[in-house]
Amino acid sequence: MRRKPILPRVWHFASFGAPGVVVYLCFVMAPILISFGYSLTNHNPFNPPAEFVGLENYRLLFQDEQFLTALRVTTILTVIVVIVPNLLGLGVAVLLDRKGWLYNALRSMFFTPVILSSVVVSIIWTKLLDDRGPVNDALRALGVEHPPGWLSDPDLALYSVASIVCWQMLGFCVVVYLAGLQGVPAELLEAAEIDGAGPVRRFRAVTWPLLAPSLTINTVVLLISAFKTYDYVKVVTNGGPGSGTTATIAFDVLATGLDANHVGYASAMAMVMLVIVATLTTIVLRFLRRREVDL
Amino acid sequence: MRSKLRPVAAILVSALFAVPLYYVLVNVFKPGDQIARTPASVPLPPTPANIHAVLTRPDGLFWVSLANSVLVTLLSIIVLTVLSAMLGHYLARSAKRWTKVLALILLAGLMIPPQVILIPVTEVLRLTGLMATIQGLVLFNVGYYVPFGVFVFTGFIRGVPVELEEAALLDGASRTQVFWRIVFPLLRPATASVLIFLGVWIWNDFIDPLIILGPSQGTTVTTGIYRSIGQYQADLGSVFALMFLATLPVLIFYLALQKQFVKGLTGGATKG
Repeated sequence: MRRKPILPRVWHFASFGAPGVVVYLCFVMAPILISFGYSLTNHNPFNPPAEFVGLENYRLLFQDEQFLTALRVTTILTVIVVIVPNLLGLGVAVLLDRKGWLYNALRSMFFTPVILSSVVVSIIWTKLLDDRGPVNDALRALGVEHPPGWLSDPDLALYSVASIVCWQMLGFCVVVYLAGLQGVPAELLEAAEIDGAGPVRRFRAVTWPLLAPSLTINTVVLLISAFKTYDYVKVVTNGGPGSGTTATIAFDVLATGLDANHVGYASAMAMVMLVIVATLTTIVLRFLRRREVDL
Repeated sequence: MRSKLRPVAAILVSALFAVPLYYVLVNVFKPGDQIARTPASVPLPPTPANIHAVLTRPDGLFWVSLANSVLVTLLSIIVLTVLSAMLGHYLARSAKRWTKVLALILLAGLMIPPQVILIPVTEVLRLTGLMATIQGLVLFNVGYYVPFGVFVFTGFIRGVPVELEEAALLDGASRTQVFWRIVFPLLRPATASVLIFLGVWIWNDFIDPLIILGPSQGTTVTTGIYRSIGQYQADLGSVFALMFLATLPVLIFYLALQKQFVKGLTGGATKG
């Protein structure tokens, strides 16, 4: 049945839809188009005029050692951040899935880092992981003579940064899994128990399949936020130690475009980043959603 | 896991996880030299000296940053709520094919990393004379977060019976009146989650105020903390106190609205 509009559609759009759409177009969509335009030039605001260079920036990008390193750094970081908080979050959620003040209080505690600014989290961990910080003090007290330089060792710094992100995101996964666990009907679990299924079997056969929507939301949120990791890198390591050992693509885009003023080149980098995020998110979403439908 | 073991395991795991939070909390109330010597000890007796020092700094860094953060956050979330509720209403009530396209374009905005658009945004703002101003940052926040608001509101408005609006329209109310007097009050849960999430995100935001407000024009609490670690490296007490004070408003906000927070977060998860 088609409804007849009571007021003209155009008027409805102009008054209700347009204001939000206009701001969105001006500050998100237009900048993406401008960015794409820049990526085809050698634009540098301090050295005009810009020349059209076609796909040259993109060709250079895939021969650029620094960009390939950033791509590798971002990939490692994303893989760790998608897997670790998801797994640990599920474990903690199962552990805390009980009623009572104790479990309520512990849930709130796990969620606290989620509401902290990433700058605050980064500074706390910078101090904790300092070569002479409390973590290494504790290790020395335990008899470790040369505790690792968590943030100063080029082989280790990326994993330290990844751990910080995981720590902050863990509570998010815990809360989403807890909500999922509450949606698992008790009758199903009881029926499985009567049929003789042990706790592990019950979890695998009943609980886990019903947590599919929670897994989807956690994975997509972690994927997107891992891919745009900037704050932690900027505050904790500033891309170092050494050359680009922790510099993500998100970090390199702004370093190249705003600090070094190579706007054209940075824009090509940003476009590659956008395509990767969009493709990955679409694939992951489609894959996980299909799992949900199959149930 | 039997009932005796579970609380013990839960407390142990949580204690391990909470070490960084403990570390901040104890050091806020310790004199600077004690932080360096015994960072993990309990502050005995606790001293408010660090907090006092931050609150009475001659350059007023904390108060200026606080005022900027409050202004940016409040303006952004008010405008965002109004615009995204109205746009959400349009999308939920219009059945034209192009509104579906519009919804998709907005949805895409949920995954665009800010780094992709920030460089051209600074140029757009420079052209309009809004670079390094609070208004510029607020406008950018509105554009960047409007997809999230619309996403939340559209879902909710679909649950409001359209007959309710039609009846009021027949009674002679204008569409604007119908929306603000009848529909909007019904959207309270959606409004709460939009206000809470965007409030926390915008308050905690680092990269956008850092780049849009620039180095000299103004600091928000996050950029203020970031700049003061460089300048006051030796004065750890102030850094901890500043972090604590900057987090306090969000923490109170969160503890007061915890239920809505979790509901807002998991609404999407359980609905799928």
